[in-house]
Amino acid sequence: MSAAADTVGTGVGGWLGYVGGTLAAIPGQYMAALRRHRARTIGLTIVFLAVVLYPVIGHYVLSEFSRNVFPLPYPDDTVATFMTIFAIMAIGLNIVAGFAGLLDLGYVAFYAIGAYTAAFLASPHFGALGINLTFLGHVGPGAVGIHLPYWIIVIVAVAVVATFGALLGAPTLRLRGDYLAIVTLGFGEIVPLFFKNLSSVTFSLNLGPINIQLQNQNWTGGVQGINPIDPPYLPGFDVIFDARSGALAVYLGLFMLGIAILVARNLEHSRIGRAWGAIREDETAAEMMGVNTVRTKLLAFALGASFAGVAGSFQASYLGASTSDFFSFSISILVLIMVILGGIGNIWGAVFGAFALTYVDKTLLPYIGQRIGDVAPSLPNPAQYNFLIFGVILVVMMRFRPQGFLPSRQREAELTVSGLQDAEAELGIPVEVDNVSIAPHGQSEIGQGARDAETTDEARDL
Amino acid sequence: MDQLIQVLIIGLANGLIFALVALGYTLVYGIIELINFAHGDVFMLGSMLAFFLVAPASSGGWAVFPIDEGMAFPLKVAEILAVLAICMAMTALLNVTIERVAYRPLRNAPKLAPLISAIGMSYVLQNIGLVWGGAYQRTIDSVFPATNMLEPFGITAIVVTPAQLFVAVVTIPLLIALTLFVNRTRQGRAMRATAQDPDTAGLMGVDVNRTIAITFLIGGGLAGAAGVAQLLYNNYTVYTLGFRFGLNSFTAAVLGGIGNLQGAVLGALVIGEVNALSDRYLSPNWTQAIVFGVLIAILVFRPTGLLGQQLADRA
Repeated sequence: MSAAADTVGTGVGGWLGYVGGTLAAIPGQYMAALRRHRARTIGLTIVFLAVVLYPVIGHYVLSEFSRNVFPLPYPDDTVATFMTIFAIMAIGLNIVAGFAGLLDLGYVAFYAIGAYTAAFLASPHFGALGINLTFLGHVGPGAVGIHLPYWIIVIVAVAVVATFGALLGAPTLRLRGDYLAIVTLGFGEIVPLFFKNLSSVTFSLNLGPINIQLQNQNWTGGVQGINPIDPPYLPGFDVIFDARSGALAVYLGLFMLGIAILVARNLEHSRIGRAWGAIREDETAAEMMGVNTVRTKLLAFALGASFAGVAGSFQASYLGASTSDFFSFSISILVLIMVILGGIGNIWGAVFGAFALTYVDKTLLPYIGQRIGDVAPSLPNPAQYNFLIFGVILVVMMRFRPQGFLPSRQREAELTVSGLQDAEAELGIPVEVDNVSIAPHGQSEIGQGARDAETTDEARDL
Repeated sequence: MDQLIQVLIIGLANGLIFALVALGYTLVYGIIELINFAHGDVFMLGSMLAFFLVAPASSGGWAVFPIDEGMAFPLKVAEILAVLAICMAMTALLNVTIERVAYRPLRNAPKLAPLISAIGMSYVLQNIGLVWGGAYQRTIDSVFPATNMLEPFGITAIVVTPAQLFVAVVTIPLLIALTLFVNRTRQGRAMRATAQDPDTAGLMGVDVNRTIAITFLIGGGLAGAAGVAQLLYNNYTVYTLGFRFGLNSFTAAVLGGIGNLQGAVLGALVIGEVNALSDRYLSPNWTQAIVFGVLIAILVFRPTGLLGQQLADRA
């Protein structure tokens, strides 16, 4: 990844050194953070410990608590795993939409490509086409198809999805704002259609030396999708956990989420991260300042997409199946709501949004539905109308708190007047309240004031 | 050859319905540069309302205006007109309400904020359709006889059904009326002025908020008419109809040059034909991918569309 390349040069040794250095610096950084932001650091520590110890707490404390003390359901291991999957995706979308300001409404395409990469590389599927590669995987004798180890699949998925991110991003480079959003939406619809429709490929090409004859070949499994997919096999860990244990998947998800957060943080504060901020604020000005906008945007698409590759391959391996219908437009929107809810541009906001929304979607609403069903079976089940609630969240958030619940300070300054004042107060610059009164049509409420007559362009591209 | 013409006729009828919806997109985009994502779902709710008005109690409707194939012609026309009027009025009001609730407060917000709000609104409306109509396809029996309108002229190889004629009779007058309204009336001039420059139009005495509301009113009314046409021509509606139909129509609006009324109609007819040809000669499985392919190609290579004028930095 180029961020690492910018800071430590290339090569596995350099990378390992970098990771080691980062890890070694953590205690010192932690103490420094504790001195500077005491309350915040302690709070984050509690959150961190709660997350790491979650499966234990969930099994032994929360289940009792929710049963006997307070009737709020706690997310089980499956939901907790999906929390990490969606958090990884939200971090990735946050890179594209939050850091670089490119609204991607087709993010599900990369999720699908990641999932199908895992499906192709760790299932008996290709055995039917006579393609077998089993000696690397953790499968018994007589297995057919391609079976690669999990971590290789993750790496391949990242590479494949990043490539597709750049490929699908390339045609959109000239577009801005809403047109970009619609083109990405189109890709998000087309990619799953390919996975759905390429289940009986018949193709014939005869050009002398090149002779391709395909007769009714099933490439993608069609509507049924591909299954079974090998579960993530982690050598050594099966001693501690049962291979199919839910807790293992939660920790695996948390581990990858941790790496995702680390990578995203480093990207944000790298040269590329600053270039993303610059093109988000004002693409023309950024180009004038020497930012290579083509390269920077392509990197945003590729790197942002690669997170969905991790999430998709993990999900496919975890569920053991990959079906095209799962990858609908709704998923793109769901991840977008997570990012917006948490605070666009903020990594922790994306994680918070993903956790909160996944919990509401997969645990809270079904639970409420069940309770309602117990009392009055004729009433509608809220779990069935989850997107009604999410739609309302989107409308209300845009109206009253466009910067999200954990806003990135920079984006808050762009999106609201009070955020601008906070930022300027911190910098010791006198606050110009002019842009409150200049705001067109005399409206100066939160979320509308930051745009004055001079800042139209920067504020427009969210 | 006859078969091709037949396919083209089917495409034309669907294209006319797309045109009514596409005009709603293009009107709104022309005036406030917003992709009104919820517009397709307004259309869906229009067709849902039409279903409940028309369908007999046996298939879950209210049978307020039960229309069946055999009823007397004047009565049938009167009932269809009543359904049209009610559906158009309701979707027009709905569209204005949406503008008031979800878009007007964001008039000066960053440009993508109203788009995201519109996506949210789209889901709200879609779920209203789900609660109202259920998760399955609602169908009615055909209200038009399956005769060939060309038979009296001695043509039997090509079939034009009364249903297809009905679509044309509903849509073409509306398209003409809209063009006249925008180009000839005072309010139409206010719309064009607001589209060009809302601030200046406001200084010249145009009530910008009212003009935008009227634009949404008209767009919603056209979507309602399209909903009725969809129900009576294709004989079904379902809560997900808005997303698919909406994207087809939006593609049509972009194809014609968004903001351009004639362009939207032309684009809709082309998209209708693309749909019909792909359904017939390729596979219905790929139709949606082809429409999206057209959309992407247009936006990437010619964002101003077939008839659109050069709009700096809009794409």
